Amino acid sequence: MSKMKKESDHSYLYFTKWALILSVFWLLLSGMYNLLLLSFGAVSVIVVLFVLIRMESADKKRQEIGTGIRLLRYIPWLMGQILKSSIHVTKLIWGSPNNVSPTLAKIDASNVPSNRRVLYANSITLTPGTLSVDLKDGELTVHALQKSSVKELEEGYMENKITGIWGKANDGDL
Amino acid sequence: MFILDIVSSILLFAGIFFGLSGAFGLFKFPDFFTRVHAASVTDSIATILILFGLILQTSFDINTAKLLFILAFLMITSPTASHALAKSARHGGLLTLPEANAKQQEQTR
Repeated sequence: MSKMKKESDHSYLYFTKWALILSVFWLLLSGMYNLLLLSFGAVSVIVVLFVLIRMESADKKRQEIGTGIRLLRYIPWLMGQILKSSIHVTKLIWGSPNNVSPTLAKIDASNVPSNRRVLYANSITLTPGTLSVDLKDGELTVHALQKSSVKELEEGYMENKITGIWGKANDGDL
Repeated sequence: MFILDIVSSILLFAGIFFGLSGAFGLFKFPDFFTRVHAASVTDSIATILILFGLILQTSFDINTAKLLFILAFLMITSPTASHALAKSARHGGLLTLPEANAKQQEQTR
């Protein structure tokens, strides 16, 4: 009984968070603060919340809303990586075409927690020179423009950054 | 304000340069997968630089927030699009350059 009550308290907090986020999102996108448009915003927030509550029964694993502080630590680092590898690829583009050595490699990503693997794969795609082709059971297929960038990924520089911020995967995770 | 304008134009010009490089590489690189890499230069660094350049041109009001939203959404959608392209090409049986070369050698033998 007490557990159930705690759960519903938790839900209450969860939907309040969503209501806040959606309202702020509307206000920032609209930028017009007269009564008519504000009431439209309120109506759309309520509709989305209604859908969210209805979806609860279908959603087995609820994604908690984080504060995003970890992401704030990660994004500047990622931007640095993007800049570095962009310059590298740009050199390849303007240089001689014989310098490219396209490779397809399998990278083990089982250390990364399962809900961060998409972030990992997207970060790989976002840095020019490497492209994630497939993600299956903690194994990433990566296409790289040069063999050296595959080596870099295998050394796990980016993987260590992600596991350093979000923690390693538990053994139970697949 | 003067300094901000200079920084903003440096960022914008750098973005233009990377965008052009990506377009150039799109024609220069030999096969589909390597071309996606060239396009991703335009996708990632050119967008980031141009959007930051534009953010410095705003007066740090609601438009700044909108530009940041655009940046956030592009950072999610553009790698997803590249991934979808590459994955479907792979599943459709398109070979990478070394694989295609190996196959050709086998056929000529």
